[in-house]
Amino acid sequence: MSEINLELNSIVMRFGGNQAVDHVSFRIVKPELIGMIGPNGAGKTTLTNVMSGMLKPTNGTIYLNGRRIDGHPPYDVVRAGLGRTFQITRALGRMTVLENMLVPGLAIRPRANRAEIEARAHEILDLLTIDHLTNELSRALSGGQRKLLELGRLLMLDPAVIILDEPFAGVHPRLQETIYSYIHRVHEDGKAIILISHNMGAVFELSQRLLVLNNGALIADGAPQAVKNDPAVIEAYLGEDE
Amino acid sequence: MALFQRFEAAIDAGIGRRRLGYALLALIIVYLLWFPNDTSQSNYAKTVFISGFFYAIMASSWALLAGIAGQFSFGHMAFMGIGAYVAGLVARDGLAFLTAESISSVGAIVIGTVVAGLVGLVIGMLLLRLRAAYLALFTIAFSELFRIVMLTEYDYTGGSNGLSLRPLLQIADVETARQVEYYLMFALLIVCLLAMYWVANSQVGLFLRAMREDEDAASALGVNVVRYKILVFVFTSMIVGLAGAIFYSDIGSERIIPEQLEVLQMSLIIAYAVIGGMESLIGAAAGAFISRYLLEATREVVITYPFGLTTADGSNAFVWEPGAWRYALFGFVMVLTLRFMRNGLLYPFITWFSGRDLVMKETVAKRESDEDHAARQGADDE
Repeated sequence: MSEINLELNSIVMRFGGNQAVDHVSFRIVKPELIGMIGPNGAGKTTLTNVMSGMLKPTNGTIYLNGRRIDGHPPYDVVRAGLGRTFQITRALGRMTVLENMLVPGLAIRPRANRAEIEARAHEILDLLTIDHLTNELSRALSGGQRKLLELGRLLMLDPAVIILDEPFAGVHPRLQETIYSYIHRVHEDGKAIILISHNMGAVFELSQRLLVLNNGALIADGAPQAVKNDPAVIEAYLGEDE
Repeated sequence: MALFQRFEAAIDAGIGRRRLGYALLALIIVYLLWFPNDTSQSNYAKTVFISGFFYAIMASSWALLAGIAGQFSFGHMAFMGIGAYVAGLVARDGLAFLTAESISSVGAIVIGTVVAGLVGLVIGMLLLRLRAAYLALFTIAFSELFRIVMLTEYDYTGGSNGLSLRPLLQIADVETARQVEYYLMFALLIVCLLAMYWVANSQVGLFLRAMREDEDAASALGVNVVRYKILVFVFTSMIVGLAGAIFYSDIGSERIIPEQLEVLQMSLIIAYAVIGGMESLIGAAAGAFISRYLLEATREVVITYPFGLTTADGSNAFVWEPGAWRYALFGFVMVLTLRFMRNGLLYPFITWFSGRDLVMKETVAKRESDEDHAARQGADDE
């Protein structure tokens, strides 16, 4: 089990006059399964982009296992141990599925034995039930298969903290089951997972802890049942009474 | 079609496509090695081949930069020009504490190559945040800037008359000189291609292709996109810098002129690479060589009438001098290539010889059976 200590301190992300993330702070110190929910425009994806290094926060700091990672480029953040998937999958289209897996494997362990990394890739593809597509160009994959490929690439990186941005969106129920078992397995491996999803059923079923964002601010952080009955959360989802 | 399938089956069962491909490649290389010894060929034909090799280096290195790494640069000719101009200037005027006499022509070429690499480093760094169209625009601006400076500073660069470089070879006999120049340029092409193949097939090549596909995704997967973007610019700049410095050291041409750096010339390089296949180094190289050859060969088209027929004015052949029309036709071919064979005219041959189409067929078959399977399962669910 790898060490986990992710710390967000008062993260602010402003685009012009729009405050997309508003002083968000939280810590993850154990391999938890954390759901992150919030209405559209709450700032979930923006926060993910800030955490993964795609955006430099306007203010605030992020530490991962003692290393400051805010404002660092994504490839540094990944090496520090934080990996993410994309809401809209980003397969490397004109590369084969295997190559898609080798890129992260070799990128973080450039001196490793290639055969070993390939063996690991085959193992993961097998686990994700897409091993028969190994030599296929990834652009030929279906939407659901691409989601699985993204999850596989994350495993090649072996990060301590994983952010899954809408892993169930537009996915066939059978593939959804594969993703479920993936999440459980990765969690049992001792990784912290932040699961962003509009699929409330899945979030409540899987999460041990829930973060709720609204208008860029973190309005609740706690056990799912407690959060569910939080008046602020109900208000955010159902709207204020006129 | 059936005949071809039988041929395919025979090849697959016998020597295998890859080996056949290598054999064909070996034959081409042997022919090119023998060519300058062919007494029936004129010196002019050899010159055409020499410039063919030069443009093959240009197109294939551009294919590495744009086709494999996805950096659609228009600055390639400018880097070539930097190599040539710097080599010429240091050989004439010296460099810092080095006098012109102390710099050999080889030394000048090395300095030209290194400077091209250094400028590649700076440009690569400036381009880090630019993508696609912005990168293309930036490199056009850089390229034009360089050309205009070379044109304007005529006291140093010779302006539109161009700059003579110190000749690399001192061979009095024209015949022998042509032969040596031919082999030198051919060797340079082979060395450059081998170096580029080594990069493209290494781990670095994998990362470059990942960057081409999606720079953000590559970065999120741990690829140091900054390092590889700069690296590919430095590497390709040095290759074309070297090629330019050698070619204009009286090997293929005796002087570098700013006209060579015009956007039109750069567009021709891109056209060669596109026609040959910009994602394949050998495809782009062959595309450039064949295009150069055809553009030269069609300066005057002579078609002799069959059966000894003559026209009323007594001529026995149809003669057409297409002039600039050759380029128009060439442009037309490029348009058709882009529309109907995006991977280049040579791509089908390359995939066939490499057996890549077999892998594709296999995976498509797998996917179809997979879909059948999923469809059946789906039907069961309902």
